[in-house]
Amino acid sequence: MRRPSAAGRYALLEAVRANIIKDFRIEFRRRFAVNVALSFAAITTLAVSLTAGGARLGAQTHALLFWIIIFFSAMNGLSHVFTREEEEGTALFLRITSPAEAVFTAKLVFNIAVIAVIVAAVAPLYVFFLDVEIASPGAFALVACAGSLAIASSTTVLGAIVAKAGGRGSLFTIISFPVVLPPLWVAVKASRSAIAGGAVSGDAVFLLAFSGALVAVSYMLFGHIWIEE
Amino acid sequence: MPAAVIMAFMYAPAAAVLGETSRLLYFHVPLAWVSSMAFVVSGVAAIVFLTDGGRRAPRAQDTFHNSAVLGTFTALLATATGSVWAKLMWGSYWNWDPRQTSIVILLLIYSAYFSLRSALAGRPARGRLSAVYLVIAMTVMPFFVFVVPRVFGSLHPDPVINPDMKIHLEPEMKLTLLVSVVAFSLLYFHMLLLLNRFSKIRATVEDLRDE
Repeated sequence: MRRPSAAGRYALLEAVRANIIKDFRIEFRRRFAVNVALSFAAITTLAVSLTAGGARLGAQTHALLFWIIIFFSAMNGLSHVFTREEEEGTALFLRITSPAEAVFTAKLVFNIAVIAVIVAAVAPLYVFFLDVEIASPGAFALVACAGSLAIASSTTVLGAIVAKAGGRGSLFTIISFPVVLPPLWVAVKASRSAIAGGAVSGDAVFLLAFSGALVAVSYMLFGHIWIEE
Repeated sequence: MPAAVIMAFMYAPAAAVLGETSRLLYFHVPLAWVSSMAFVVSGVAAIVFLTDGGRRAPRAQDTFHNSAVLGTFTALLATATGSVWAKLMWGSYWNWDPRQTSIVILLLIYSAYFSLRSALAGRPARGRLSAVYLVIAMTVMPFFVFVVPRVFGSLHPDPVINPDMKIHLEPEMKLTLLVSVVAFSLLYFHMLLLLNRFSKIRATVEDLRDE
């Protein structure tokens, strides 16, 4: 396989940078994905708090509820970055003007940013409204970051697939859930440990390894999704 | 296959702790093995389809789809036999044991694959996108099949592939299990070839109808 030249690598980086700026600029103007995801996250957190009625929940329950809120908030927001391109008819323009690798990288960065915003909003809300006492806040933050990275890493390419399928309703959630379930499961376990004051390093490594593997595979496969017949 | 069945009921002795219920081992374990193997075959055929573009392996799309069909079928059977064994050994059909959870996740992946394929009906990218999803799912498989059950405690007996890399069974049971695994694997490949042949015939008939 031929290694890209320095000029080629620079052009790719430039394309990535341009696409990232474009996506952030569009999202900053409309704030659709972030608004929907954050609203869903806030509503769900408040609903959980309301129905808990001040009951003291265990570490396992808190971990579970936290990640359920994160997961379904992500399902509301992370496919938007591709479905928007297909719905507005800008996908073909993007195919012509940017290499597939640049598009994927930019969308991945965008999705990581979106889920980071979601977690940054949900975590304090959840801790505040459900009165959670976290024994290791640093470990909890690490797990939240690693878990959300794993979710974004695996769902970006799935969002591209769903956009090509017409972006219908719950298809994104259906195809994402089995792929995201292993890191979700480990994230719940690790969050429980962090809340209770246990070790999370092994679980964090698992989540980062999962993210790395999915990003690598998605990067290689994205060209097959992005091409137009 | 008849040899496997006869050996399971007549040749292999009952296990020391598990008793006569241990004979389910010769059906449950091969079915679980075949469901995993079918999944890997699907993934590999999907990779061949994506990299080859139908030049040297024109039937790769049929292979990965038919293997997914067989994998779903065997996963369902593995779940059913495992549930029966769970009821006999642990007192309930379902316990969310990590291995039980792994097979459910495999079934979820298959159902997601079929949902995606249905949503892509009539689109030229159907084969390509379905193949991409299978490859992604195959990438996830090592994480939940091999890592998660070893991270969490399991109700299952010692894994067959265990830390000291030995199979902890009596020689007759070991032989019966091996024969059963081989028999189920051969049955899987035979059914896959039949399904592929059927897919080819159906494609030919559709082409003739279009003309």
